[in-house]
Amino acid sequence: MFDQKTLELLVSSFPKILEYGLKVTLPLAAIAFMLSTVIAVLVAMVQYANTPVLRQICRVYIWIIRGTPLLVQLMVAFYGLPLLGIRANPFVMAVVVFSINEGAYSAETMRAAMEAVPAGQLEAGYCVGMNYMQIMWHIILPQAFRTAFPSLFNALISMVKDTSLASSITVVEMFTRTKQIAGQSYNYLPLYIEVALVYLIFCTVLTFIQKKGEKILGSYGVRK
Amino acid sequence: MALLEVKNIQKAFGENGVLKGIDLTVEKGDVVSVLGPSGSGKTTLLRCINFLEKADGGSLSFEGKEYDLSRITKAEIADIRKKTGFVFQNYNLFANKTVLGNVTLGLTSARKVAKAEAESKAKEVLAKVGMAEFADYYPSQLSGGQQQRVAIARALATDPSILYFDEPTSALDPQLTAEVLEVMRELAREGMTMIVVTHEISFAKEVSTHVMFMADGNVVEEGTALEFFENPRMDRTREFLRLTSN
Repeated sequence: MFDQKTLELLVSSFPKILEYGLKVTLPLAAIAFMLSTVIAVLVAMVQYANTPVLRQICRVYIWIIRGTPLLVQLMVAFYGLPLLGIRANPFVMAVVVFSINEGAYSAETMRAAMEAVPAGQLEAGYCVGMNYMQIMWHIILPQAFRTAFPSLFNALISMVKDTSLASSITVVEMFTRTKQIAGQSYNYLPLYIEVALVYLIFCTVLTFIQKKGEKILGSYGVRK
Repeated sequence: MALLEVKNIQKAFGENGVLKGIDLTVEKGDVVSVLGPSGSGKTTLLRCINFLEKADGGSLSFEGKEYDLSRITKAEIADIRKKTGFVFQNYNLFANKTVLGNVTLGLTSARKVAKAEAESKAKEVLAKVGMAEFADYYPSQLSGGQQQRVAIARALATDPSILYFDEPTSALDPQLTAEVLEVMRELAREGMTMIVVTHEISFAKEVSTHVMFMADGNVVEEGTALEFFENPRMDRTREFLRLTSN
């Protein structure tokens, strides 16, 4: 399988695959992850504060998104949004769908992390004269974020790999690019193994960043 | 005119009446100790006065303004809280903030005081409780007694008219209790107005101007510290003092 010709193909295609990884896959995951975290914090805060009506809307959002496959959500957006007169390029559409999808999962992570902050922290905030939003911003969210960090990072790592589903709505990302190269040479398996290795490299780097991040966030109680 | 006057405050958790119409008057400079067995409602009283629990009824007047406790607004609560300080049994220091951050946050965030000014105020109150050299520590690096002294500094930083203490030494061993009580004694000497819910009978005897003894959601007896300890009128009080003095 790994004859001279295949090796040459692997070497020559590596930069092309990596290029789409760096140009499309990682930006797609990074932007969608950031947006999903914003959605997650807002949805978690609504539930934590038990705001009527908004809370029910958030529950319905989480119910629908967690109850349907990501691939189906991508398809519904791809074929459905143009019917509503919304024209977006497939990359933007993928960013939106991935953000909304991951936001529902991360919202539950954030909610649990906020509920894990002892009630005394909130009470102490009120007693020094802070209002609800000030307590959220300075006390509850920082502590909750620290608790949620490993789970949120898990979500990011999953998302890097799930971006390959964007190929189904014509986004040419790293996996689609690999398929194209493989199609030209009819030499599929070695290239798929190669792209798998690139995903593995990405996720290894992210895992390393996660460890560093946890060390930095875990510094309450380490004398500076 | 009294600094704080609470009339007929009531609170029930479900069917269980915890405060059955308590009155309390605190003049400026008073140190009021609230004593009583566990479950008597003394902590709930303090939490209702600072709105950590919502009272079912009664009225509260603070610095000359009168409020109906069942109808008080969020804005009114916020106004009152800006002039009060609260010290918890479990300290409740902000875990993600250093000692300095804990003490300055009420100033910088809630009162928009400039950072430099807040820090100089924080250092002043930390020095007062003997914690100045721990400014960069996180709460988890401190002993319980140290945490409680920081909590007192945090409450003092905003120059409150009155300080509430909810069993401030109940989670501490005798040595750490002594260091916290010393700080409170000093505050009392300086004329700080305080309500102290406590089990420390000898501290109450030594420091308070007034004592209130509660049982089952009612006030059994109250009076000046001298009257209360030297001449208790009620059997229930005598029984309590006899048991706790041994």
